[in-house]
Amino acid sequence: MLLRTVYTKAIRDRWLAMVIAVTVLALFLLYTMALYREIDLSIYTDLPESMRVLVGIAEGADAASLSYSVMLNFTAALTLAGLAISMGAASIAGEERKGTLGLLLSNPRTRSRVLVGKSASMVTLTVLGGAVLLAAGYGVPSLLEVEIGDSHVGATMVHLVLNALFYGFLATAVGAWTGNRSLASGVSGGILIVSYFAVGLLPLDPDLAGLARAFPWYYFDRSDPLVNGFGWSHLAVLGGGIVVLGALALVGVNRRDLRSRSVARTPLDQLRANPVTRAVFDRLAGSARVSRLWVKTTSEHQGLLIVTAVVMFFMMGVLLGPMYVAIEDNLVRVAGDLPEAVLAIAGGGDLGTPEGFYRIETFALSAPIAVMIVSIVIGARGLAGEEAQRTMGLLLANPIRRSTVVVQQALAMVVYAVVVGLATFGGVTVGSLISNLDLSIPAVAATSGLVTLLGLVFGALALALGAATGRVRVAVYGAVGVALASHLVNAYLPLSDRFAPYARWTPNYYYLSSDPLINGMPWAHGAVLAALVVVIVGAAVVLFNQRDIRSG
Amino acid sequence: MDGDGDAGDNGGQGDPANPAEHGGEAIRTEGLSKRFGAVRALVEVDLRVARGEVYGFLGPNGSGKTTMIRTILDEIRPTAGRAWILGRDCRRQAVEISRHIGYVPGDLALYPNLTGGDTLKFFANLRGGVDWAYVDELVQRLGADLSRKVGDLSSGNRQKIGLIQAFMNRPELLIMDEPSTGLDPLVQREFQAMVGEVAAEGRSVFLSSHTLSEVQRVADRVGIIRDGRLVAVEKLDELRAKAMRRVELELESDATADGEAEATVETDVFEAVDGVSDVSVEDHRVMLSFNGRTADLVAAVADRYGVIDINTHEADLEEVFLAFYRDDATGTVAPRERERSEA
Repeated sequence: MLLRTVYTKAIRDRWLAMVIAVTVLALFLLYTMALYREIDLSIYTDLPESMRVLVGIAEGADAASLSYSVMLNFTAALTLAGLAISMGAASIAGEERKGTLGLLLSNPRTRSRVLVGKSASMVTLTVLGGAVLLAAGYGVPSLLEVEIGDSHVGATMVHLVLNALFYGFLATAVGAWTGNRSLASGVSGGILIVSYFAVGLLPLDPDLAGLARAFPWYYFDRSDPLVNGFGWSHLAVLGGGIVVLGALALVGVNRRDLRSRSVARTPLDQLRANPVTRAVFDRLAGSARVSRLWVKTTSEHQGLLIVTAVVMFFMMGVLLGPMYVAIEDNLVRVAGDLPEAVLAIAGGGDLGTPEGFYRIETFALSAPIAVMIVSIVIGARGLAGEEAQRTMGLLLANPIRRSTVVVQQALAMVVYAVVVGLATFGGVTVGSLISNLDLSIPAVAATSGLVTLLGLVFGALALALGAATGRVRVAVYGAVGVALASHLVNAYLPLSDRFAPYARWTPNYYYLSSDPLINGMPWAHGAVLAALVVVIVGAAVVLFNQRDIRSG
Repeated sequence: MDGDGDAGDNGGQGDPANPAEHGGEAIRTEGLSKRFGAVRALVEVDLRVARGEVYGFLGPNGSGKTTMIRTILDEIRPTAGRAWILGRDCRRQAVEISRHIGYVPGDLALYPNLTGGDTLKFFANLRGGVDWAYVDELVQRLGADLSRKVGDLSSGNRQKIGLIQAFMNRPELLIMDEPSTGLDPLVQREFQAMVGEVAAEGRSVFLSSHTLSEVQRVADRVGIIRDGRLVAVEKLDELRAKAMRRVELELESDATADGEAEATVETDVFEAVDGVSDVSVEDHRVMLSFNGRTADLVAAVADRYGVIDINTHEADLEEVFLAFYRDDATGTVAPRERERSEA
């Protein structure tokens, strides 16, 4: 039934990811709202009017609207946009990468029709995801008997869905013009992240505030649909963007030669092909690259590692120093106005100090996400990925133990996490030095070390899940799910005296709870995280030794 | 290249606790079984491959060939039974075994981001002891392209890389699952020559295939697997001798041997001869399958018909193979009995 058309097959291939994502989001909405019910609500009534509007809290509906602003405006918006990008990049460029587009087009289907079918499935699934979240948005407060006041959940959801589709069609258009899936998802994901931070940070400086309009994310939440309802002009910009990008995709896919099945060109490949650099990089990319299994694995995701490390070094490290100096006065004023609960959600700390600023901007979310991305990718691909691409059998027919394979893949994961940790350390240190912020370098090193270990805990979990099941999806979704749960539980439980002690059951507790950016290395906490990594990798060895290797 | 080595000395039931006993064999399995849920992929397979032997492992899709190979290579674990390669236990000494074997998996997958050259270097680093002059020779013989990424190669060119990595450390035993998939006829011929050279050096080859002509060219013995059971193991020449031959008789067109006019050729005359089946007549040419002495056939029909010419075609493996898989081919010899009788 679901294989009758390109449209239905694309839905069949993708519905599960969307269902899992929106179910998890709905459950966390339930969880956060239940938690906020426990918090002393007077902290919200103390908020000045301007601040209340700035953080998207509707008047008279504190617990519900705070949950909405965290779960819908931030987590759900990024998740849905990420899923749309994944669908958009896979629609044309993904089929080309797999080498299946030619076969598809050998049937009586035009390129345009395939594109429209794929895009329609993306729209359908995104709208369905939004509908489930809308139902959760009304159902959860009703279940918990929480008043939602003037919160415009429906309007927020329309903004959220259109925003996600904008990025999805951006990925579709880039993929349709280039046939390069990595480029499509990389460009769209990059614009999404840059846009999110630009719209969040630029308004802090009145001179730069106007520039925020140049970024698409502005049209998602700057009209504050949760408080003000539909922002029709902003919706029109997003809708117009979708139409233009869709039309561009149609033109792009029809005017170029299709690619046959291909593999991506890495930066090292480019250097290897260049006559000037060939001699050096041929040796580096050739002999050295395949000298050990862990070295080979390390060479396989160079693009991801370079982009992540560069973003952490420059954007989340060096640039934040001068930015803090530029907006210090505003930050001190804002920090004075913010209640503790709101700060806790953003990662805790005093926004008015350099340590607090770096903690919230770099270490609370960006750095753990960056280390986790590289660790989970390597962890999941290390074992389950080898099985998915059917190379594990051949690998194990060589004189290499299964336990050695697990340990070497774990070693590659450690290398990636350490590189991102070092980039973060280097960026923050340079940012602090050039702006005379006087951050303690050992404390920055300690925090960077802890975030590396935290990312490795979840990377090791992905490795272990891959070792147990041989399935990349289980490894990725499982590790990301546990990481998200750990973050949210650790962030929100301390807000309630009743639940606070349970936070120490999450790995995240051992990362920032001792405030290492001020107090330096908490050796006991570091030891807990390191021990977790070792134990989980050990479990991966046992699990992998016990089972049949999948044949594909 | 005798078929069974020491297999038959105690009825094929050696002491599983003493792997040294099987040191004379390249591969030995005893009661090897593998279940996937309700599916019995391997059923008590007793297999022996002698050192220096080229063993063809035949079976249609889904019969258990790949499961057998994956089990003896410790990719998957048997539900029951044991296996030894080169006298070593496949489960406990898998790493030691892999130092001495070369392997080409079925439906070969390699690392798409590595060039052919990088791929060979990677496996050479894992394995050690690779003579690069020999690798160069293999590359020349198969016409492999080592400069391009494996993911950008055609399936045949990718298969060449897989073959080179299996042969390059001159393993004592080559285990290959459908190795000539995607190769053009010239390269197939070169590959068969390479297999012959391996056997000539006293090394062993276990070749799973349904390309029967290839097995026919290179194998000393064949094992036939059906629904997870090893239904027959035969030396190739004995298998051919036992098999039906196609015989074509050209008869005199207008008279019988005794001079009387004969309008038509009757099939009954031929079908009455022992060992004859599948008789068909076209004008005065008779085609039939025959299992017996040709002289007896000629004697049986000569008193009715004058025989002008007779052609016999030796049965090829395909006919033998098809005979084992025909729906009515249920009377096959049980695996252990077949092994013993052959030993």
